[in-house]
Amino acid sequence: MRKVASVVTRWLPRLLGLALGSLFFYAGLQKQAAPYEFTDAILAYRLLPESWAGLTGALLPWVEIVAGAALALGNLVPSGHRSLGEAAVRLRRSALLLLVLLTALFVVVLLITMARGLKIACGCGLFFQRPVGPAALVEDLLLLGVAAWLYGRSDSPA
Amino acid sequence: MELQAQRITAGRRWRQDLMGGLLLLLSALAVGVPAHWPLVTASLRGELASLLERERQARRAAQFEGIPTPDLAETYRLWEEKRALFVDARPHAEYAELHIAGAVNLPPDSWDRLASPPLPTDKDHPLLVYCSQESCDDALKLARRLKEAGYTRVMAFTGGFREWDEAGYPVDIVR
Repeated sequence: MRKVASVVTRWLPRLLGLALGSLFFYAGLQKQAAPYEFTDAILAYRLLPESWAGLTGALLPWVEIVAGAALALGNLVPSGHRSLGEAAVRLRRSALLLLVLLTALFVVVLLITMARGLKIACGCGLFFQRPVGPAALVEDLLLLGVAAWLYGRSDSPA
Repeated sequence: MELQAQRITAGRRWRQDLMGGLLLLLSALAVGVPAHWPLVTASLRGELASLLERERQARRAAQFEGIPTPDLAETYRLWEEKRALFVDARPHAEYAELHIAGAVNLPPDSWDRLASPPLPTDKDHPLLVYCSQESCDDALKLARRLKEAGYTRVMAFTGGFREWDEAGYPVDIVR
């Protein structure tokens, strides 16, 4: 029983990190493949001036791609690796911190949009379109929770 | 003493992570900006709206190929003269809250669950579908399904409920 718990403790964060990284990587790829639709979705939030919306539409998908790839790669390196172990931990932690800040920003944006009563598509990427609302908020809070939990316990290379 | 050492280590780690995160952000900037240069420059020159409109028209023309897409004025004439049944493709909650007066609700995903969709039996009756806004896809999905089901005169109002509502045209709620 203790052995099972130890395997779970050791592998669960790694698997979650890999899944979270892949998820953001995929969401970013989807957005960068349709930059004009994504910028349209950003403008629909009515939070950014046009001069910033284009830059955000170009940058945000790549932030997700780069951070997602870094997190996934950081979790693929074996923990005991002599030369890459510490670099992998740093990569994981940097990617996780960036994703925590990003998802926290998404949560704030969703809350503001819901409070303003705007009925718009969330433009979140992933597998299907959904409107801004409680489901999208719960999804983002879940991602934020997982990213924050992984960041909090990724102190050591173990 | 030990606690202080732990705090210093945690502070150093936090700064390292922040620098690492900043490097990742700069990498994204270095790739993302050149990759979408026209989008960035149009945005900085204040020409984003016209660029997005051109792209939207091209995209919609390809997506709605074979489906007429009347503009707001033409859509209003169709409504006023009762020349088409308006079909709202948005989720039921949004339809219940507010919809184009006289429209029936048929979200594309609910089609299979309905024993009898609220549609005319005459397959040549003109139908006009719409969803929330310009960027939503449900009107397109529904228009395609209607065509597959044999309806011959399907149109789509791509401006969606938002454009109709913002123009101040008649709306209704579910009572």
